Amino acid sequence: MQFSFIKKGLLAFALWSVAISASWASSHREAPLVSNDPLADNVDLYAFRSPDKPNTITIIATYVPLQLPQGGPNYFSFGQNVRYEIHIDNDPAKVGDEITYRFTFQQENEDPTTFFNIRLGKQNLKTTYKLEKSTDGGATFTTVVAKGIVPPPNVGDRSIGTPVGLGTNYATLMSSAITTASSGETVFCGTTDDPFFVDLGGIFDLGDAPRQNGTPVDGLKCMNVSTIALQIPISALLKAGAPATPINILDPNYVIGVWASASRQQIRTFGNDGNPSYSGPWIQVSRLGMPLTNEAVIPVGKKDFWNSITPYDELNDLTLDGYFYNPELALYMDDSQFGGAVPGFGPLRIQANSLQSFDFRNGKNGLYGLKGNPALAGTALDDAIFGTLLLPGAGQPRSVDLWPIFHTGVPNLAPYQLATSKAGNPLAPGKPFINNFLPNGGDMLRLNMAVPATNRNDPKFSSLGLVNAAVLGLTDPAYNANTSIQAIPNMDGFPNGRRLEDDVTRIELQAVGGVVLAAVGLWYDDYTAGGANPVTPKLINVLSYTTGVEKNDQPFTSTFPYLAMPQSGTGNCGGKLITATHDNYGGSTLGFGQQQVMMKNFPNPFGDQTTFKFQVNQASKLTLRVFDVEGRLVSDVFTAYHQEGEFQYDWNTAGLQPGLYIANLYDGEGRLIQTGKLLKH
Amino acid sequence: MIQLFKPALYGKVLLPALLWCLFSTVTSASSHREAPLIANDPLADNTDLYAFRSPDNPNTITIIANYIPAELPFGGPNYSTFGENIRYEIHIDNDATKPGDEIVYRFTFKKVSEDPTTFFNIRLGKENLKVTYTLERSTNGGQSFTTIITNGKVPPPNIGPRSIESGVGLGTTYESLITGAITNSTTGEKVYCGPADDPFFVDLGGIFDLGDAPRQNGNSRDGLGNYNVHSIVIQVPISVLLKAGASQVPSSILDSDYVIGVWASASRQTIQTLQPNGAAPVNSGNWIQVSRLGMPLTNEAVIPIGKKDFWNHLTPYDELADNTLDDYFYNPELALYMDDAFFGGAVPAFGALRIQRNSLQSFDFGNGKDGLYGLKGNVALAGTALDDAVFGTLLLPGPGKPRSVDLWPIFHTGVPNVIPYQLATGKFGNPLSAGKPFINNFLPNGGDMLRLNMAVPVTPRDDPKFSPMGIINAAVLGLTDPTYNTTINLQAIPNMDGFPNGRRLEDDVTAIELQAVAGVALAAIGLWYDDYTAGGANPVTPKLVNVLSYRTGVNENDKPFKTAFPYVATPWSGTEVGQ
Repeated sequence: MQFSFIKKGLLAFALWSVAISASWASSHREAPLVSNDPLADNVDLYAFRSPDKPNTITIIATYVPLQLPQGGPNYFSFGQNVRYEIHIDNDPAKVGDEITYRFTFQQENEDPTTFFNIRLGKQNLKTTYKLEKSTDGGATFTTVVAKGIVPPPNVGDRSIGTPVGLGTNYATLMSSAITTASSGETVFCGTTDDPFFVDLGGIFDLGDAPRQNGTPVDGLKCMNVSTIALQIPISALLKAGAPATPINILDPNYVIGVWASASRQQIRTFGNDGNPSYSGPWIQVSRLGMPLTNEAVIPVGKKDFWNSITPYDELNDLTLDGYFYNPELALYMDDSQFGGAVPGFGPLRIQANSLQSFDFRNGKNGLYGLKGNPALAGTALDDAIFGTLLLPGAGQPRSVDLWPIFHTGVPNLAPYQLATSKAGNPLAPGKPFINNFLPNGGDMLRLNMAVPATNRNDPKFSSLGLVNAAVLGLTDPAYNANTSIQAIPNMDGFPNGRRLEDDVTRIELQAVGGVVLAAVGLWYDDYTAGGANPVTPKLINVLSYTTGVEKNDQPFTSTFPYLAMPQSGTGNCGGKLITATHDNYGGSTLGFGQQQVMMKNFPNPFGDQTTFKFQVNQASKLTLRVFDVEGRLVSDVFTAYHQEGEFQYDWNTAGLQPGLYIANLYDGEGRLIQTGKLLKH
Repeated sequence: MIQLFKPALYGKVLLPALLWCLFSTVTSASSHREAPLIANDPLADNTDLYAFRSPDNPNTITIIANYIPAELPFGGPNYSTFGENIRYEIHIDNDATKPGDEIVYRFTFKKVSEDPTTFFNIRLGKENLKVTYTLERSTNGGQSFTTIITNGKVPPPNIGPRSIESGVGLGTTYESLITGAITNSTTGEKVYCGPADDPFFVDLGGIFDLGDAPRQNGNSRDGLGNYNVHSIVIQVPISVLLKAGASQVPSSILDSDYVIGVWASASRQTIQTLQPNGAAPVNSGNWIQVSRLGMPLTNEAVIPIGKKDFWNHLTPYDELADNTLDDYFYNPELALYMDDAFFGGAVPAFGALRIQRNSLQSFDFGNGKDGLYGLKGNVALAGTALDDAVFGTLLLPGPGKPRSVDLWPIFHTGVPNVIPYQLATGKFGNPLSAGKPFINNFLPNGGDMLRLNMAVPVTPRDDPKFSPMGIINAAVLGLTDPTYNTTINLQAIPNMDGFPNGRRLEDDVTAIELQAVAGVALAAIGLWYDDYTAGGANPVTPKLVNVLSYRTGVNENDKPFKTAFPYVATPWSGTEVGQ
């Protein structure tokens, strides 16, 4: 490579494309106020080209964090008196949203005489929704779904599957809740497994990810969220006047910005009966665009403010930019700051002396020294092109990577192209790999809809999204031979939109660690400008960094709405398993009714197997025999000596005819201790 | 064994219901997210209330009120804690002749961020959303309050060892944070406010899946295992709680002057106005009660969904004048699932629980039946609690209200030490004769409260006879243990200090209440199950053993309690809990 330029000019950053900013855990309970208003808490936002229907974009907004599957008797759902909205911008020449979808929900009780949520085919807190759409910036709305169905909570097998409950199955409830809007969108609103994955406990314990002692835990495993999923034809999202067929896979006319929000009316008044009523203008209380912005970039003192503004408001705001120019997380990846205090981030070390010229640590100048240099002419850093957007001043080193990824998207313009074929000069044209530039507001999830979808079963599919596309574009002979535009796998991944699979936590931490700067040629400190191999140990450290939780606990599905079914309240996620208890069989502390051994079996009725469980209160030899109703011995199940305590015995009943049987338990002297009825289906 | 019942009396008279004393009513999960409105306001959601004589400090009563259900230990970056602009209150009634509270404790909380430049909750010795509280006390029914603790400390969330123990965090231990937060008020109460392991235990998933507890397929699960709550724990000298004019030494272990009623609540101001730019909402107007708790599980599993929000809004004193809620106790929904004439067959997990439909071949306690109402006006009731001359029509208000004699009073008045509310021991088969006393927490001054007779001695937690079945266990001992069943003298039977005479942390209130709905309390005073024939030798029939053996499958907390104040277990750390 050729780096003679370097000290003078150059160097850019495709970084943004690759990496974003800050940290971890999307946006669950991320700001003080909204963490106490779970119904209006926007958790995550996804936007991707549908892998099975590439003429459409799927947008998923999740709300109401950390729902326990067993959280009865009033299971979580969407809230009434909340406006849930998905906003789409497709034209930087026009102020504000081009399309707004507004969801509002209603609940009713079909049987207010019971405390159960579902009983005998009736459902309480049954939720339906109205979907309205605006195409004039929110001035007027048209109803496109009048009464959509929200499936009930997945209470458990008895409530969902049996006739005492709804007598159906959850997959049917979900699929029959999918609706087509009068304007052509496919819609699903309901509870699902939370698709996000992150070690909440480790990361928020001062950045202990991956954990230095012990195994990482997906803090969102087993938790449900309330999901709004929309599948929209690309033609309906396209900017007015854009060609129906893109000019190429990075056509700038195909960029959309997506953000979601929740709003409440300003005044809540409790009536004398304790019921609230709502009045006044609507106030935005939660929003989401890029993952983790408000979770780990914006500090606690500004989080509530951040939630209250729109991306368009951010254009005029000057108070938040500093958190991207000099992100807090970077302090923990810098040995001159608190790098030593967060050993989990040890592999992540920001460039302090890239190409022996540039220092990207907090408070340093980054590329600001190049300001006005003629080598910038025609690049995105040229004041003549984007003004002072990307080099606003000294001491703001991440204005060139983290800030624009969150605030403008990234144009397909030097230096925002891969180092491939740049011959060592980051300001030279390189391999294009992103164009989601839409400088019409602040924090949004920006997606170029022209980029082809990577098949989820493609061997090159990667949860590292654009970081992986960059690696392929730099190293894979299929892509690194020239600078022509090619569809590199995972160019449709975060931060070009966001797929359900994308490991945004890892991507963003690597980005704060400077991996994007490296991808465009601003290599790590252990590379000497002009050297043969920029893939140095420090770069490998960063690329290898992982939080330890890399994928969701449940697989996604291959068709709309793509999300896994919600965890059941009685399933493996429905509480802490009781493996041994005192009193489990009752009676042992009572003055009467105590037995030397107590037995029960489950399931009962059973199919091909049932399990006998015993509590031995007095050590004894035990014999279990099973008879049919005529008194004929069917099986000598076992004879064994048992100490005090619990044990269980699995009995294979595959060979048993269906019918009623009697189990007799005898002690060492042959005395009958207990009998039980067994029913084989 | 006790000689039972003289058949001659049967069809005519007798039989009441000590039941209440034994058990309360209904079901299953104290009060976590129990009503639609409050489920969406977790900070003001009162989850559980306990009141017990302190085992290590028997001159005091410990009251614990928990708030904020199912807090995830790793629920960062903004971990759950007490809310600002909420009044958290503990109310005490000790005098049935005066309307309303005799003592009110009011806790209010404030938060400060010591380092608003970080998104971490704790960093370099600084703590964000750091919480302190003011405790005020009123002894005039809430008219005026005196501040008795200013700037009380609330420990930070137990985030993990890096945040709590290491030098980059607070450099301490969580135990010292708890100890350091225990404060003595200017009036002699000892107080702790802070996170704790949720002491309640229940198979939420199973029970709310149409009553599947214990689970019929596979092992049960503690739906609150590994979760935290925020506890207000207050230890108050008995002398402070005592009714004005009561003797400093109780006249007996069931002294009527030593009964207190305890309830807890959370209130918010009527009007909340959201502000632009994410500024804190402005609250104004009167204070409105949005959550309350007295007896466990009332609003969770007795009150149906259409009335839950209404219930949360009332005070126990309002209930005296309310007529809309009583029937949920007279004819409880749960009883439908323990009665083969209704939906008994639809809830196999409750198969062991079957209500008396033909007790002593005379009395039917099925929903809609008359229970003991047929005895109304009978001279055999004279002088008993069922005598209209004694308590009016309180306990036999009309036909078709069978549980007016057991479930209703346990929740609404407490139980007097009056015939028939004495154990069958020594009754010689006649429930209306004098029996073995075992409870007196009668305080008919309001509806749903946790009523505790403070004179009852403490059962040491390491006593071999200590039982989480509370008064049900005391009843069993009083009927069967030779130490207690030979006389009708008042004796201190173990676990008489247990639920529903107050509530200890260990008490398995779900099992107790489900057994009570199934009529076990009726049985304890001599209204035996249908498979006992009046006059027969042994009332301990298979149906009784079935009920007494019933458990939900989740019978104890997942973490041991502490032996000293604040008794609740240390909160789970965010890094020690997996899924």
